[in-house]
Amino acid sequence: MIRVIAGAILAPVFIVGLGLIGLAAGGSRSLDAYLVLSGILFAIGMFGFLARRNAISMLMSIELMLNAVNLAIVAFGSFIPKLGAGGSVIALLVMAVAAAEATVGLSIVIAIYRNRKTPLVDEYDAMRQ
Amino acid sequence: MAIPSTIPILGLPWDDVLFVILAGTMLLAGLLVVTMRDIIRCGLAMMVCFGALAGIYVMAGAPLVAGAQVLVYIGAISVLVLFAIMLTQTKVGPTRLVFQTQAVPAAIAAVILVIVLVLTIGATQWGGNGERGETVTADLARVLFSDWVLPFEIVGVLLLAAVIGGVFLAKRDRTAATDDVE
Repeated sequence: MIRVIAGAILAPVFIVGLGLIGLAAGGSRSLDAYLVLSGILFAIGMFGFLARRNAISMLMSIELMLNAVNLAIVAFGSFIPKLGAGGSVIALLVMAVAAAEATVGLSIVIAIYRNRKTPLVDEYDAMRQ
Repeated sequence: MAIPSTIPILGLPWDDVLFVILAGTMLLAGLLVVTMRDIIRCGLAMMVCFGALAGIYVMAGAPLVAGAQVLVYIGAISVLVLFAIMLTQTKVGPTRLVFQTQAVPAAIAAVILVIVLVLTIGATQWGGNGERGETVTADLARVLFSDWVLPFEIVGVLLLAAVIGGVFLAKRDRTAATDDVE
């Protein structure tokens, strides 16, 4: 119940604050707005990676971080004329590498799950005992 | 009927409002991904987050990257994650404790990271002229297949290796069973 109330209060405050930040930074026409957005998304992903117990949640957080980096690359590519189309090219390559990472990571999680019967990373403590 | 260049009552340009809506959707979905209890819902929120990010790519002037985002992330990686969730879900349902004991330090570190990044971004001159360019797809193709052709090929080999490795890691070890049968 407390979670629901806190969420109901925090979400509108969050969105309004974000809107003010975005408009203050020049909205969609400034590089800073995109970079701040990318930084916030990266921090969310980092928090998820450090805090979640489920291995698949951690992989999802890694995907969020990769997307944040991609957003920064695309923003640089479109706002700095010297880069030309290079930003988009790097973003596409990063996407391909992220797909490879997701494949291998998820299959490792499934292989571990088959041995240990749990997806929670804090129960993978065989090396500690 | 022509659409006015700014929103009638508020007087704001459409671009800014659309950007704020997409950014808010993306960040809210991202927060839901890392905080929700039911992991299937986390996966669905991740798809929403990637979709909003594709819209932001369009606004940043990279339509081909937005298309690839929809194809690769929403179409492939999210479905892969959802399948992995279904394969690893325990029968007792969602676990009671979502976060590890280090969640509070992690939250503090994330907030500090955001503050440091925002200050750094605000204090740096990036050297652009402040104009948003549009990446023409023909230019992108020309650059991708001339200057970047070696990384492109290497990524192809990497994907092949990752797929073979993924199949090898995730397949059941059948050698003992087949030995018995033969």
